[in-house]
Amino acid sequence: MNVDTREMNGWVVVTLAGEVDLQHSPTVRKHLMELMFERRDVAVDLSGVVYIDSSGIASLVEAYQMARKGGNKLVLAPISQSAMRVLQLARLDKVFAIADSLDAAMAG
Amino acid sequence: MSSVAHPIHLPAGLADDLDLIAEMTADFARSRDIEETLRVGLEHIARRMEAEAASLFLVDPGSGELVCHACFGPTDVTGLRLPPGKGIVWRAVDSNTPQLVENTETDPDFAAQVDKNTGFRTRSILCAPLAVRDEKLGAIELFNKRVHDSFDKDDRRILLALAASAALAVINARQAAAMAEQEAFRRELALAADIQRAMLPPARDPDFPIHGVNLPARGVSGDFFDVIELDGDRVAFAIADVSGKGMNASLLMAKTASLFRCLAKRLDGPGALLVAIDSELAETGSAGMFVTMAAGVLERASGRVTIAIAGHEPPLLVTPSGIRRIEGLLPPLGILPELFCDGCPETVLDLEGGALYLFTDGLTEAHEESRMLGSEGVETLVLRHRDLPAAERLEAVIADVARDGLMLEDDLTMLVVEDRR
Repeated sequence: MNVDTREMNGWVVVTLAGEVDLQHSPTVRKHLMELMFERRDVAVDLSGVVYIDSSGIASLVEAYQMARKGGNKLVLAPISQSAMRVLQLARLDKVFAIADSLDAAMAG
Repeated sequence: MSSVAHPIHLPAGLADDLDLIAEMTADFARSRDIEETLRVGLEHIARRMEAEAASLFLVDPGSGELVCHACFGPTDVTGLRLPPGKGIVWRAVDSNTPQLVENTETDPDFAAQVDKNTGFRTRSILCAPLAVRDEKLGAIELFNKRVHDSFDKDDRRILLALAASAALAVINARQAAAMAEQEAFRRELALAADIQRAMLPPARDPDFPIHGVNLPARGVSGDFFDVIELDGDRVAFAIADVSGKGMNASLLMAKTASLFRCLAKRLDGPGALLVAIDSELAETGSAGMFVTMAAGVLERASGRVTIAIAGHEPPLLVTPSGIRRIEGLLPPLGILPELFCDGCPETVLDLEGGALYLFTDGLTEAHEESRMLGSEGVETLVLRHRDLPAAERLEAVIADVARDGLMLEDDLTMLVVEDRR
């Protein structure tokens, strides 16, 4: 799994790629939690994710819970088909803010 | 008198040194309290080498500092911490070579502050690193050779041999402690697994309409299922999967299982039950963990099932009319209380003499012939074994995906609810 973080138009874009599983979820969680503590607006780019398990989803859920408390934004955009299937199966596509592209995420 | 000594008659000093090395090595090898042995060993070394004082430092893995664990002589600096890179001890550790300082006044690395603080006057130092392979463990430092001006090269050789033996003792003690800790953890894990198994419902008679199976991937499980008989010839059932794996998932599973057992008889219907469990879990949620769950009630007389689903794998309804997936509408439990503030919708299913299969993603994400099974794969397996009695059918499906010797990636749990009218 790869995690890449970059600044873009005042947002932080966190790009996850590869397999987000139990082995890698703590790294994802650490990255996202640091940004949530700083109350940054974050777009998580999941377009390169080939597999995400429930521990990976839990990292996103925790960030989502933190963002709601902190009042900052957390948007998933864009999302690979396989990650989207997992989110849809668990009906989490109705919970997260999701956009088709980074531009759309930041505009929303 | 011959000037050549017989090989077995060693010079007195060397024989003493070898005795000391042999004695210390034996002490270290049988030691159960490494700190005490190092203290006693340091005193032996200091006396034998006629040092006025001695200290033993070990690297603290947490801070990276050298910490004094044992002292001999007029001053006790046990607990003294030396930040990386400072003084003669660190020079010995960093270079992994013994340091012989015959006159401390001419050595720029000598930390005079410690002498000022303790009142001890250091004239000469002999310091040997404690290391095993590339692992830097610490150092033994001797101060001021009695009678003589300084330590010499022979002292350096002897201290190096003793330091090697002490280093092995430290490594052995640490490995023994780590093994003991692992063993204790294994015992606790086995105990936790026993308690968890006891939380699952017992196997039922073949005639009973609901059967389940749970196969943990790691001893303890983040999955659970339960079956509770209600009044009016109804049976409540549930299956759930906690996000993540391991001990934290199993603890949340235990909490969810307890809530189900406690609330199933009191609340009216599976929708109300899931809302109540969500409220409890969301209140005390931790680290984004959530629970996917499907709960239902079977009316045995009518063969009808009322089911509510929260983010869980869609159950499979297999009847003479066909096969269909039962989709839920709400996300998993424990994320946010307001997600369930409008209640949790229920679906009523007529089993029509068929069966409803519920399972966790350990089954759909299991691999058969290197391909992920998916919902379609589960359907194929269920149909493959459809002629077997329910409990055996579940065992056969599980056996197809969890073949002997294959390491399970996730917990596998499956439940079948049959119309046995």
